[in-house]
Amino acid sequence: MLKLLRKALKVGEATVEYPFKPVEVAPGFRGKPVYDFSRCIACGACATACPPNAITMDWDLERGVKSWNINYGRCIFCGRCDEVCPTGAIVLSAEFELAAARKEDLYCRAELKLCKCISCGAYFAPCRELEYVLASLRQAGLLEGGHEGWKQLLKVCPECRRRQAASATGALGRPGRMPGGRQ
Amino acid sequence: MPNEMKPGQDGKKSVEALRSKFGAAILAEAWQTPDQVTLTVELSSLPEIVEEAYYRQGGWLSSVVGNDERGLNGHFAVYYVLSIEKERVPDKNFWLTVKALVPSHKPEFPSVTPRVPAAVWYEREVRDMFGLEPVGLPDARRLVLPDDWPDNLYPLRKDAMDYRFRPDPVAEEENYKFIEVEGEGIVEVPLGPLHITSDEPGHFRLYVDGEYIVDADYRLFYVHRGIEKLAENRLDYDQVTFLAERICGICGYTHSVAYASAVETANGIEVPPRAQYIRTILLEVERMHSHLLNLGLAAHLVGFDAGFMHFFRVREKAMQMAEILTGGRKTYGMNLIGGVRRDILKEERDQVLRLIAEIRVELDELLDLLLNTTNFISRTQGVGRLDPGVARDFSPVGPNMRGSGYARDTRADHPYGAYDRVPWDVISRDGCDVLSRELVRAAELYESLKIIERCLAEMPPGPVLVEGFAYKPYSFALGYTEAPRGENVHWVMTGNNQQVYRWRARASTYNNWPSLRYMFRGNTVSDAPLIVASIDPCYSCTERVTVVDVRKKKARTIEYKELERYCQERKNSPLKS
Repeated sequence: MLKLLRKALKVGEATVEYPFKPVEVAPGFRGKPVYDFSRCIACGACATACPPNAITMDWDLERGVKSWNINYGRCIFCGRCDEVCPTGAIVLSAEFELAAARKEDLYCRAELKLCKCISCGAYFAPCRELEYVLASLRQAGLLEGGHEGWKQLLKVCPECRRRQAASATGALGRPGRMPGGRQ
Repeated sequence: MPNEMKPGQDGKKSVEALRSKFGAAILAEAWQTPDQVTLTVELSSLPEIVEEAYYRQGGWLSSVVGNDERGLNGHFAVYYVLSIEKERVPDKNFWLTVKALVPSHKPEFPSVTPRVPAAVWYEREVRDMFGLEPVGLPDARRLVLPDDWPDNLYPLRKDAMDYRFRPDPVAEEENYKFIEVEGEGIVEVPLGPLHITSDEPGHFRLYVDGEYIVDADYRLFYVHRGIEKLAENRLDYDQVTFLAERICGICGYTHSVAYASAVETANGIEVPPRAQYIRTILLEVERMHSHLLNLGLAAHLVGFDAGFMHFFRVREKAMQMAEILTGGRKTYGMNLIGGVRRDILKEERDQVLRLIAEIRVELDELLDLLLNTTNFISRTQGVGRLDPGVARDFSPVGPNMRGSGYARDTRADHPYGAYDRVPWDVISRDGCDVLSRELVRAAELYESLKIIERCLAEMPPGPVLVEGFAYKPYSFALGYTEAPRGENVHWVMTGNNQQVYRWRARASTYNNWPSLRYMFRGNTVSDAPLIVASIDPCYSCTERVTVVDVRKKKARTIEYKELERYCQERKNSPLKS
């Protein structure tokens, strides 16, 4: 008993003053994912990787938008989105106080414009994603001398491209199958 | 189909012994790794072969997997997974899986339970989930499915249902048949609704003669989440590592590692050594916080609440370690197939080493305090005896097993991660009681500290994750870890569309429940919470206890809080009224 008392006196107060004083977290803490709209290209990599479906992407081909949605109520703070994002548009923060009085406060939504196919006129891909691809091609030196075709090609939707490729190979008299393409 | 591997020497000898005895009944032999073999046997010989392996080859039942393989070979299949630990020399141990195909037009198989009691829960589960009838199984009750679940709807059959489907309830009330105790007879017990308030739900029924427990029955799975079905339907291989971590709120990371290593083994993926060290370190960090929690709860249940507080204070240091190393206090989220996601840097290593030094000093003092509390020893010694004979029949695992004289520890018996590269000792005690189990945990804390220190000092440089491998459809293998509560065994069969075809996760406590009944017998009601806590069933699980007095033919339901109070104070028995 005396030992216990001595121990208690030695330890002193173990309780921290949170929430009246902030709690420090470790530098690599995995807290609330923070979204940066200006960097997002709506590629959907985060939505594909997200294990609990906290991040989802919806297409609205009528209005020409692809929307990015997160439900913080489903988030497990694994940070897969952070890991797979090609542009650093979503980064885990140190914030952990996510309690909200209303469910809607846990949702975050962003809408990104889609581009139209120059061949059929239908919306088919986020404009920023196409810009990103172009920029990557430019950096790889694939947009100079003789490669301008890429630029045109990117403005055509996969459906039309497939049709064009099929008729091109059809003209050669062979069954249409894109080289390396998936059946 | 599974890789053909060269068999290990000792495994080969055991298989030869089985072949010489059962000859033509063994139809096929496939080695997934040098220490994992799957024998396909005649359905009618299944019980004999499992019995032979269990009792005469030094086997322990580690899992049973049901599988709907109608789309692959036209049959259902059952796999009995045995850990063969014949000579207790790790090099000679191996995993023997006995597989039998069950015809889809006649979905029944001979029950193994009459020969090997350890199979009882597994076979009840296979019947619930796949509708395969274990002929001769003495216990005809459901195990996992609730009473209001329709007959003839078997959730894990591939063609049964969408994973989101919730059938309409077919029963208004619980109609589970608890066991009946012979002797003075028994009365029907009205069951109240279950309150899933704090902790986890479970329904316990104790049969008492005065203050003494004559027998016990219990029902669990009130919070079965259908995780296996979810993984088969919606997640890819990497995503399941995060779901697996959520199987348990205390020792989740160990499930994530077991799952990941099952997939890696099935596909021949080599995890870089550094990643294996990191996994080992985190598994031990998890064991520390878990054991400290359990020791704290044991102190709490004997009424030593100051001790409880101190254990939790020290436990906080283990939580800090996890936060430093993974960015999360409880869910580490560190695994992907092929390794881990985050390296350990020098600064993090130094912080962890400092914390280890602090914990070691604190532990010495705290354990000295706890063990010199007379109340603690008198309340735990000789209480909740797990008889070694009962243990042999039911294959319990973890500190529960090691407190009864069996030095079974997956880390040593089937080394994985870096456990065979750093020195440490398997802890066991032979008191068979609550005290022994707690002493095992206490001593294991020091081993954990040792393992973490050595791993941090000796981990090799290099990558922590491999990528660029391909998954092989329909290959399967086992993954296993020693969780704080004992051996976890995961069995994974890959599918053909980046999803598991079948994932069977068997948590350690699953193997500890069936023998708990025997541990209750002969003890007083006031010791019941202590006995349950001593198997460390992620604690809780005893929300409501029904006590049936076999002499007065009277049944009463006691709130768990009341029973807990009685356990601490041992005054004013709730049974007297």
